[in-house]
Formats: sequence, structure tokens, C-alpha cells
Amino acid sequence: MSDLRAAIRPYTAVLIVPTGVGAAIGGYAGDALPVAKAIAQVVDCLITHPNVLNGAQLYWNLPNALYVEGYGLDQFAAGAWGLAPVHRNRIGLILDQGIEPDLRVRQLQAAEAARATLGLELTDYVITDAPLGVELQSAKSGATWGTIAQPDSLLRAADYLITQKGAEAIAVVARFPDDLDSPALHHYRQGQGVDPLAGAEAVISHLVVRQFQVPCAHAPALEPLPLDPTISPRSTAEEIGYTFLPCVLVGLSRAPQFVSAARATATPRSPFATPTLWAEHVDAVIVPDTAFGGSAVMQFGQRRSPSAPTPVIIAVQDNSTTMQVPPAAVGITAYHARSYLEAIGMLAAHRAGLRLDALSAAIAPLQGQQL
Amino acid sequence: MTTHFITAEIDLQASPVALSDAIAAELQQRGEPLRWAITAVDETTQTATIEGVVTTADGTAPDTKLVASISE
Repeated sequence: MSDLRAAIRPYTAVLIVPTGVGAAIGGYAGDALPVAKAIAQVVDCLITHPNVLNGAQLYWNLPNALYVEGYGLDQFAAGAWGLAPVHRNRIGLILDQGIEPDLRVRQLQAAEAARATLGLELTDYVITDAPLGVELQSAKSGATWGTIAQPDSLLRAADYLITQKGAEAIAVVARFPDDLDSPALHHYRQGQGVDPLAGAEAVISHLVVRQFQVPCAHAPALEPLPLDPTISPRSTAEEIGYTFLPCVLVGLSRAPQFVSAARATATPRSPFATPTLWAEHVDAVIVPDTAFGGSAVMQFGQRRSPSAPTPVIIAVQDNSTTMQVPPAAVGITAYHARSYLEAIGMLAAHRAGLRLDALSAAIAPLQGQQL
Repeated sequence: MTTHFITAEIDLQASPVALSDAIAAELQQRGEPLRWAITAVDETTQTATIEGVVTTADGTAPDTKLVASISE
């Protein structure tokens, strides 16, 4: 039943948990991954981003999920880029020159393990021609951001891997500041507050994706933290190893390639070409109730033309964030779900072709109109 | 190239897509927008607070705090 339906019109959902905004579910060490696993069971295709799927040493291969970096997701939502699924990507690894030799070996061992144990394909790696100089910032809103001092060095490294080594996706490991005494780090390890690294990580991957239109994701290089038996389960995935790189390599190994709308229009379509997903194929978008101020959800939240379908937008109330932008504040009409469990029920009902209020006790009668 | 953190306040009088496009256009005046989000909305003044990161060519320092008025 589901195979035929999926072949005719795959039901496609986008799960967004913005990075670096203290999401109660998904704001820590890949702790929205269970949500993604559950949603993947009720849709044909799930599109989501590294912040949702990355759990440092932990990951889960969801065959019907597409791992799409945030800048690419914004372009996809705007209709500028399509997503072309692949069977595998050859991954190029960039290591920040600012990483100390011992820490560099830890990252390389993660890459070698991914090759030997998971069979992933990596090109030779490259070390940037200058330390990237990551700086962390916390904004007035509570969101974390960041800047890097040497973005050109990052882009030169990516260019070398893509043009000289044939890389189809880029993994970046940048040296992040060890700030062991910071209250933000303490709270993060306790499953509270905002991930102090997340905003800067997004800046790094956005730079590469914007420039080269290839999948990219980032893992920070940090000294191991002192042992603390009180760490929150939500943050523990980042406590159990020396590197956060494995989940990034797994995600990138099957991340869809980006296809620009202009290139897709100009190129004659081969009958054997992989079907490309576009924004109009999206049936549902799931977002925390207070985080509707991002570019992607704002693009999905409005019909772009009278003939284009508008996806059902689901605002999840119990995934709180530091943002204060509910859907109505930016003119988006959304269904409100108290939890992801309720949101998954809404997805199942929507996919079944039901009105979402058909499952509640009160149904307003039809009204007649005399023309 | 350098990266810069930007904050802005923008009038809320547009549809979501128009507002999104207008924010990107406004940030474009300070550099090439890389990442942004509306972080709060003031219903009384009908303004949105924006935080974002733009990139500029080396040696160019943008005005990193701006107040724009966009009506569409």
C-alpha cells in the first residue's frame, strides 16, 4: 500500500529545530534524533538538518531521511535549489590549522574508522593554510552566534578538495575555544540553556554551502571535558569520545546534492536522472512554536503562487526555545501540537487525506450559501 | 572576506515571504547575508528584531546595528 502511494506522490515532511536557540528538545547533543526517527515512520521522505541528526559519536541511518545543511534548506524552501538524492558522496575533510597535533590525530582516527568500519569514501584530507580563528558570541535574544577570522582559508581548503580531489561533500573540523569555566558550558552539560558552539558551527557550514553548493557539516575540535557524573542525558552523547566527527561523516555520506533552479531549467532532463525534490513537493513542516522567525519556515509558510500547494505547518508547543516568534507573529497559519507525539498524529492524519479536526469530538456543520 | 554579526529592527507589515525577502535585502546593504532570524516580535510597535551574520570583502566594516523601516 505505502509503496504504491509513495511512488505516485511521496509524502514529504520537513523537521526544523533551529540551531543555537536553546530548544528544549534538539538543543543539545542530537537529542531531537528520536523525534526524527519517529516522524520517519509516518512519512515517505523526511528532510531535516544536521542539528537534528548529529549526536557526536551517535547517529542513526534513516533510509528515508535527507540530511540538508541549514543554508541549503533555506535555499530549498525559497525554491532556489532542489535536492537530488544520492547513493553516496565522496567526502573531503578539512582540518583547521589551529587544531593541536594530538587532537588532529583524534579527528583523523575518526575519519579512518568511518572508512574501515562503515565503508565510507573520503578523499585525502586538507589542513587550512591559516588557523580559522573561531569566536563565539551570545546575542541579546539568548541565541548563540559566531564569526571566524579566516573564512577565506576555509573556502580555499574546500575549493582544493572539490576541484583537485573530487570531493562531493565537505566535512569541517574547526578548533573551538575551550572555555571550561563558562556558565554557558556548565548549563549546557546539565541540559539547560543554549549550546554555546552551535551558532558558530552554522556559520562555518553556511559559508561552504553558499560558496560551492555542496553538502557540508561541521564538528568542533575540543579538548575532552573533565569527567562529571551529573551530566544530563540530553548532552551525554558529546561526553563519550574524543571527537564529534562520526555523525557528520555518516550524514554527509548520503546527503542530497543541491541543484539550482536555473541549472535544472537549462539542462535537458534525462529519463534516467534522479528525481529532484523541490519546495512544492513538501507536504508538512514541523517547527517549535516559538521559532517561526527563520528564513526556511517563513518561505514554507506562504503559498508562492495560486497554483502552488501550501504545506501544513505544525507548531510544537512543548519544544521551548529562547526565540519569541510564534507563527501568527509573522503571518503564518499553523496547527498547534502540544508535543511531537501529537504532531506525529497530525502527520499521519494529513497523510491519510483527513481534515485534522476530523479526529476531534466537535465538528462544525457545513454552512449553506444562497447564490 | 570577513564575517560580521548584525542586529536590526524592521517594521512588520509584510507577508512571510515578502518579509523574508525584505530582511535579506536590508541585510544585503551591510554585506552578503549568510544567516539570519527574527528573534522577537513587538506586537505594539509592529517591529521585528533581527539577528544575523553577513560577510564583507576584506577591510570593509559594516554598520553592525541598523534600524530599518520596511513596509510592503
